[in-house]
Amino acid sequence: MPLACGLCDKQAILKRPKTGDALCKECFFLAFEEEVHQTITDASLFIKGETVAIGASGGKDSTVLAYVMKILNERYDYNLNLVLLSIDEGITGYRDDSLESVKRNEIQYGLPLKIVSYEELYGWTMDAIVKQIGLKNNCTFCGVFRRQALDRGALMLKVDKIVTGHNADDVAETVIMNVLRGDIGRLRRCTAITTGTDGALPRCKPFKYTYEKEIVMYAYFRKLDYFSTECIYSPNAYRGFARAYIKDLEKIRPSAIIDIIHSGESLSVKKEVKMPVQGVCVRCGYISSNTVCKACIMLEGLNKGLPRLGIGKTHKERLKMAEQIGEKEDSSINSQNLKSCVSDHFRPKSNSTSFEKNQLDSFWVQISQSGQSCCKSNTVGCSCQRSVVCKDVTAGIQSSVEQQKINSSVIDF
Amino acid sequence: MCSVEEGDTDVPFSKSRPNESIGRTCMKCQEKAILITRVNDAFCRSCFMVYITHKFRATVGKTKLVRDGEMVLVALSGGPSSSALLHLIQEGLSERTHKKLRFRPGLIFIDEGAAVNLPSSERLNTCEKMLEIMKSTGFPCHIKALEQGLDNDNIQEFSSPPDICCPGSRLEKELGTIDYDTESILSDISTATSSVTLDMSECSISSSIEEPYGNSREAIAVSSMSRVESSFQKYEEAEEKLKCLLKSLNSVSSQEDLIRTIRHKILSEVATTCGYSKVMLGSCGTRLAVTLLTDMAIGRGGQAAVDTVFADRRYKNVMFLRPLREFSSKEIGMYNALNDVESVFIPTLTTKGSDGASIEHLTEAFVTGLQRDYPSTVSNIMRTGEKLSTGAEEENKENCAMCQSSLDTNVIAPSALNAVEFSQRISSRGDNSDSKRDHCNKTGECCGEGDGSCNSTRTRATKQQVLASLCYGCRLAIRKLDDVEKLPLYVLKDVFWRVRREKMKSEIEEFLLDTS
Repeated sequence: MPLACGLCDKQAILKRPKTGDALCKECFFLAFEEEVHQTITDASLFIKGETVAIGASGGKDSTVLAYVMKILNERYDYNLNLVLLSIDEGITGYRDDSLESVKRNEIQYGLPLKIVSYEELYGWTMDAIVKQIGLKNNCTFCGVFRRQALDRGALMLKVDKIVTGHNADDVAETVIMNVLRGDIGRLRRCTAITTGTDGALPRCKPFKYTYEKEIVMYAYFRKLDYFSTECIYSPNAYRGFARAYIKDLEKIRPSAIIDIIHSGESLSVKKEVKMPVQGVCVRCGYISSNTVCKACIMLEGLNKGLPRLGIGKTHKERLKMAEQIGEKEDSSINSQNLKSCVSDHFRPKSNSTSFEKNQLDSFWVQISQSGQSCCKSNTVGCSCQRSVVCKDVTAGIQSSVEQQKINSSVIDF
Repeated sequence: MCSVEEGDTDVPFSKSRPNESIGRTCMKCQEKAILITRVNDAFCRSCFMVYITHKFRATVGKTKLVRDGEMVLVALSGGPSSSALLHLIQEGLSERTHKKLRFRPGLIFIDEGAAVNLPSSERLNTCEKMLEIMKSTGFPCHIKALEQGLDNDNIQEFSSPPDICCPGSRLEKELGTIDYDTESILSDISTATSSVTLDMSECSISSSIEEPYGNSREAIAVSSMSRVESSFQKYEEAEEKLKCLLKSLNSVSSQEDLIRTIRHKILSEVATTCGYSKVMLGSCGTRLAVTLLTDMAIGRGGQAAVDTVFADRRYKNVMFLRPLREFSSKEIGMYNALNDVESVFIPTLTTKGSDGASIEHLTEAFVTGLQRDYPSTVSNIMRTGEKLSTGAEEENKENCAMCQSSLDTNVIAPSALNAVEFSQRISSRGDNSDSKRDHCNKTGECCGEGDGSCNSTRTRATKQQVLASLCYGCRLAIRKLDDVEKLPLYVLKDVFWRVRREKMKSEIEEFLLDTS
């Protein structure tokens, strides 16, 4: 017996994954679009007259996002100036094909398109990076670079905001990932509908409450043109576990995805827990919780032929790296350019130089302040600086050489 | 699109290689090692025992919450963790221990056989085994059945489940002992509580609602025989009621969630009536990691911290403690094996079920699977939990009528809750049943706030009245419930109390000054 649509009397053709209601095609379109509109208005994502870049990968999420944004912009008179922004990671056989579908969208939706490539921004394509690092940690590079690339592209286009196609499944997955990794800072940030409001370009996720399944459904029934091939390079295995878990949960209880987002939203962090302070990378000026941002470290590693520099947490491994660089550049240590990591610079001196631990902080302030002007090509492996210096300090104290106050002049730039 | 994000770089390390386990020496005393605990720590037997005992006592001791001579109710499930907890407590109290534990334990076992539809013979068998274990310790002990949680008055009574009470039962003699034990404690504390309500007909739901505090309850001292008979009848009713309630939830995940809520209610109720100020739970770290992730998945993220913290202060007069939270299930298993600690197998709703049997079951398979390849999984999850606020510092917050945790439904516009309600509204307009739901959603939005529109003069609670008093997780659990009258009596009483308060507030509203 054909089921009737819950809203009109037409024959229903689908059951909404989100609510379980049977709907006809037209009513589903309406419900889908209205929900996105509701999210946009509830969270006051946009202001009239703004220019908004839609992060377009050619995949289903961003294709549907571009389509829905265009429709809603006209229907509800958002008065937004929409543009498409794509990142070309330089992956042959994957991104070149998906960019074709973005280019088709450009014509179909009549939205201007801007493509920025890793090659022009960083001088490296992903293909070249994979040649260097292999298939194991390549996704780390891609993920770190993409975030910056999108921002830089948006700056070129002089937009006010970026919207991305992150859907409810993605958000839920990230919540679970961050619980599994114990990353409280990201756990708190990841459920925000708009991020980066402080300083950098705000990014928002109008699909935050939209199920991935419904996005596919929408694209399917609207006959939207999108590219649906997995990246040829292996995806991050650990995220894959979280993804599989979410999918299994959804099978048991379809509302689980939204329930996880609710959980994420209602978390509150203890007051005494220290949150990473967002600063600015001394090198490129991009927001970073370290003195030098991850992208700069990774880029430095690539350019120096040490691609593993920015990867992983092992201090041991980084220490080894830093040592290698230190040895290599020992001769030039007192030269004008401080090429190696500051910590390496200090190692040979640690016998004669010792200082109290509490002076470290002021020391670091000085480093980061002077870094802006002096550290033009410094800081290889600087994210490990802290640990290395601490080690040296304790060693220095143990050797009980007379204390010497560290000021910026001691650091030989 | 590729969903790899910037933060994905720091993922836990997978296990590098299997550790050599042959010919290892103890990391403490260089004797021959007999086991490896975490990562690569080899221990000999005596050092392992010291390690476990120390960890247990340090967990209890460092918070300084358990005072000398304090009465602590130890919740036993029969499983390995709670059996280990009992053993650790017994060891800690024994004379030969260097620094004796100073609290006075009492034991409780809650028979949940009704939820799994176990035949009464099996339930009797389980209770018998548990009773034997509990009696051998010499501590006062209590046996309750899950169905007693449906009605507060039932909890306050001391009689054991019907199967045990059944005349002619082998346990009849021993039953007398349990009653004696519990009653002797109780008479110390309050003579009033040791009296027994007999007449069930007077305590039917409707009359209890009219007299929510049960002041007019008749207290009659009766001979043990008539007590047995009346309680037998009463339990049969309660058992039916519980089965009916669980059945109408229509989802194993919701059933598990509700059982957990009722179990905690019984524990806190028994503790309050019998004068225990603390309840010790046997949940180990692995279990708590599963609980935390399950909480996230069932919309209880706001309660995840309180569900896994050492001292859970959610209930008014009773504090729940989790002294085994630093132990992995592996350590518990090894401790039990080395000390010949026996555990009792009791089937649950998901025993023999597939991974997809329930959300909790799936999460357990997920966490233990990950733990195998990434040994830091459990500690990572627990570390996340430790950084979350338990909400203890916020006072005057309204609590959920069912699970007593603070309400998380009073949220501002862009939120998952509102998004879900909007979705339901927009994709089901028109026909009758849906317009009803529509109305329900509207009152759902005013949850906690209340504008008076939810008030009703009927004595039966409406679903929206109940939903408005519940947290997100509990709403989810009873979403499929057809008749809210099936809910435990304490929930309904609380809901009515809130409705009356709202009514009062709306009457005097115009004279209230805005204090915020």
